[in-house]
Amino acid sequence: MTVTNPSARQRRMLSKRRSVLVAGCVATVMLSAAACGGSGGAGTTTKDGFAQAPQKDGALTVWVDATRMDAVKLYQQQHPDVKLDIVSYDGDANGSNYLQTKVQLFNRTGKGWPDVVFSSQNNEVTWAVDAGFAAPLDKGLIPADTLGKFANGANNPCTVDGTLYCLRNDLSQAVLWYNAPLLKKFGYKVPTTWEEYQTLGEKVAKEHPGYLVGDAGDSFTPEIYLWASKCGANQITGPKAVTVNTTSEACTKMAKLMDVLIKDKSMSTSGVFSTDFGKNLGDKVLLMPGPAWFGGAVFKDTLKTPAQQIAAAPIPQWKGDTSPSTGNVGGGTWLLSKHSAHLKAATDFLKWVTTDNAYQGEKAPGFPAYAPAAETWLKNQSAAGYFVGDLGALKDASSQVWSGWGSGQFSQEAIWAATVKPGLTQGKTIVSMLPDWQDSIVKYAQSNGYKVSK
Amino acid sequence: MTSRLLTGAVLVMFLVFFVLPVLWLVLAATKTDQQLVHGNPLSIGSWHAFKANWDGLTAFQDDAVLLWLRNSALYAVISLAITLCVAVPAGYAMAMTEFRGRRALLISTLIVMLMPTATLVVPLFLEINAVHLIGTMWSIILPYSFYPFGVYLTYIYFTTAVPKDLLAAARMDGCSEFGVFRHIALPLATPVIALVGFFSFVANWTNYFLPYVMLPESDQMPIQVGVGNLLSSVPSFNPAASSLAIERPQLALATLVAITPVLVVFLFAQRFLVSGMLAGATKE
Amino acid sequence: MTLSHSSAGSARRRPRGGAGQSRAGVAFVAGYVILLIAFGVLPTGYAVYFAFTDAGGTFTGFSNFVTTAQDFRFTDAVSHVATYLVFWLLSLVVFVVGLALLLHRLASGTISKALRFLFYIPGALAGAASVLVWLFMLDPTVSPVSSLLGVMGFHTFGAVIAPGNLPLLFTIIAFWTGAGGWIVVMYGALNNIPQDVMEAARIDGAGSWQTAWHVQIPMLRKWIVYMVILAFAGGAQLFVEPQLLSLASVGVAGRDYSLNQLTYDFAFQMNNINGAAAVSVELLVVSVSAAALFVARSGFFDAD
Repeated sequence: MTVTNPSARQRRMLSKRRSVLVAGCVATVMLSAAACGGSGGAGTTTKDGFAQAPQKDGALTVWVDATRMDAVKLYQQQHPDVKLDIVSYDGDANGSNYLQTKVQLFNRTGKGWPDVVFSSQNNEVTWAVDAGFAAPLDKGLIPADTLGKFANGANNPCTVDGTLYCLRNDLSQAVLWYNAPLLKKFGYKVPTTWEEYQTLGEKVAKEHPGYLVGDAGDSFTPEIYLWASKCGANQITGPKAVTVNTTSEACTKMAKLMDVLIKDKSMSTSGVFSTDFGKNLGDKVLLMPGPAWFGGAVFKDTLKTPAQQIAAAPIPQWKGDTSPSTGNVGGGTWLLSKHSAHLKAATDFLKWVTTDNAYQGEKAPGFPAYAPAAETWLKNQSAAGYFVGDLGALKDASSQVWSGWGSGQFSQEAIWAATVKPGLTQGKTIVSMLPDWQDSIVKYAQSNGYKVSK
Repeated sequence: MTSRLLTGAVLVMFLVFFVLPVLWLVLAATKTDQQLVHGNPLSIGSWHAFKANWDGLTAFQDDAVLLWLRNSALYAVISLAITLCVAVPAGYAMAMTEFRGRRALLISTLIVMLMPTATLVVPLFLEINAVHLIGTMWSIILPYSFYPFGVYLTYIYFTTAVPKDLLAAARMDGCSEFGVFRHIALPLATPVIALVGFFSFVANWTNYFLPYVMLPESDQMPIQVGVGNLLSSVPSFNPAASSLAIERPQLALATLVAITPVLVVFLFAQRFLVSGMLAGATKE
Repeated sequence: MTLSHSSAGSARRRPRGGAGQSRAGVAFVAGYVILLIAFGVLPTGYAVYFAFTDAGGTFTGFSNFVTTAQDFRFTDAVSHVATYLVFWLLSLVVFVVGLALLLHRLASGTISKALRFLFYIPGALAGAASVLVWLFMLDPTVSPVSSLLGVMGFHTFGAVIAPGNLPLLFTIIAFWTGAGGWIVVMYGALNNIPQDVMEAARIDGAGSWQTAWHVQIPMLRKWIVYMVILAFAGGAQLFVEPQLLSLASVGVAGRDYSLNQLTYDFAFQMNNINGAAAVSVELLVVSVSAAALFVARSGFFDAD
């Protein structure tokens, strides 16, 4: 038997590589062990409403998503002496829970928390307060007169038991977007009541079939229509308590309106970001109730609607309703860590990024939550000339978001998508699915530890 | 003849199944977002659009995509080297030698291999933290290096493809146990080394969750986590991502960039995978 | 070192070897054992500890198992996974072994090699990378196979991802990514069947089907068992495919579909790592039991 041995050399190389590796590995372990010598020590001081870690010099760690990267870069440019460690992450989009996952791990190891975090979700405080991560902001860190200039109710999602734990970055109040030249060409008026809206929708279906007065196919559809109609599907009444009632008149009358228009096909059942919408319906939008960011993200960037067509009007109200109300779809938040050893720098940054005109007024893609910055932002939008007229409707709507719809730890959007959306595809009516929807919300709320009343 | 036609038909059918989506992806990278939605799914875009997509992709956080590739390569290759050095001798020993604890080792390897990963992340994080490796590349390289799948591949390979008589003969010729491994077993093991090396590389390259949770800095991210971040910057997948976002063709291009190294390694490894060299060795 | 070696005799497995071989065996596995303990046994042990304790570390018996089983999504998830497993295991065993045999029979080495490469390509597309692909494949508005979807009666994305289609869709996606790698493994194993065995079969007048059934498949036994063990565990731990479809459909289909998705939800959304560990341990027990069954029936651990 002969077995030649061509690979002795190869083997030698492998074993040599291995010894190099082992040596390298051992060295790294020792180095990094040595590097982590003197940490921690002195006790905490209670100030600004929480026990603060001993303050130290060093880089401020900031976590942002790709979109907010511009804000941090601008801050660095304007404050070259501040040392920043910028970490880009997914912004907790699509319920990735990245921040929560990492904070859980950091809580176990007692280090690693970022100083300031941006999240594209506005319900982070529902866990971040319990996890001992979010610092209270209205107990000394941020002055009351700064907080007072945020749009009315903007920071409601950040408030737990009367204490503020985060700052809203942008607002996503719903308005009625419409195609001004098209509406004029068809000879219609912008509806101011939901009754007029429905009549117009039925008229469009007859006179100009194919054109749309709205869309009911997104996961955030309930936040546009049912929230605006004051439907009590999501009344967060305490840190772990919610009242759910989806079959009240406020819910059913809006659901009926939508069912009529869906049946008439003047309300689409495919979402604005779906390929179906982009391909077949993109240029059929006559009216479209939607949040503030529809203007840029949907019309300008996704549907590529030409300039000087899209305008914004107040969202319709039910006839006889005295106080205007609207819904809200998302809007990011900034959190500050209780464990921060650079509270001064962190607070300075937080104040700047949420209120300074240089970012919020001039650069921010979304409608600023901080009212003075929003003024500048609106002026810039008018000057840019994409929209017809000004976006004053956005400003009015920013303080008209109905406060009866909270933000809990469970995702209303995910529940709607999984419960109601498949039924819509099969041709069921929304009214018929309202009880199932409630059932599903109750189950998710309970499994997240909420006490549910109906 | 009909059997041959049938073979051909089946293979072609599966070829379409496996390749069509990939072909679509390749073409998608050459189109604009508008063409992707409005045009024929299997039409070719333009060089211009491809170039624009590439520019858009590399503009994302200043060439971040190249950094991700570099990180992935670093993590995957170092772990691969450790895996080979550790897994091949282990699989060989379990298959070809008798020692106390062999069966226990086989069983425990199988059990940990079958453990769902979701809950392993927390213990791993605590362990790595205990040895002060959080924040270093070793926090993912070392867990990657543990590759039980490769040990089993080697184990099965040796039990099924290398006759024990061959080793026994070498021992009779006076070879030491290490000599037997080095001079007899290793030269025969080329196919399985290639196989283990390849699968280990792919597993390391495509691992998402461990680096996602373990690494603290965004400039340490491997390409998979990077593509995940790109995905969450595409408005269709994340309405909260506003303008200046990544468009779908750019995501397609990023995906292609992410898989290319794996395909190159496959082509390289394939040369060693097929060899039926044993057939000659056992014929006496 | 002397070895008392007898080439004949069926009961030679145990007595062979001796102290030298045993010591060498231990040396060969030493490096691996360290990694196994550090990154396999310890974390798994830790997870099992989690499963039987509460957040404060107090022993709680089976209460984590009971609470998680009472979650309203649990029973659905179990039945989803069970249905999926049937589709997945069948398709994997039948098509992987079948395709490997067909490829092995191809006269042209180049074509066979090229096909193995092409079949493998999707294996490189992992996780987030394939979300885009499947969103566009399954959406009749933009799909290259929209006519095929149309013939099957699907005209909207919503219709394609209707709940009843999900097990099949997940199988297709998982097979698309996972089969190529196994085909390569099986093909390699087929190559290692000694030529003389194949020739003997041919001389006996066996056709290619008979050779496959009576010679090749039995000789692939260990590989097939290994594949089935891992495929079973992988299928029971279904996660990537529903997650992917959930991303593509913005949450309409695939969210909270499988048990493993629930473990992630428990661990990272509800901050209940103990509950997550309990579900993981259940999955582990199921996978290990299935593996034990296959191992016992196939002599998988025998060093022969």
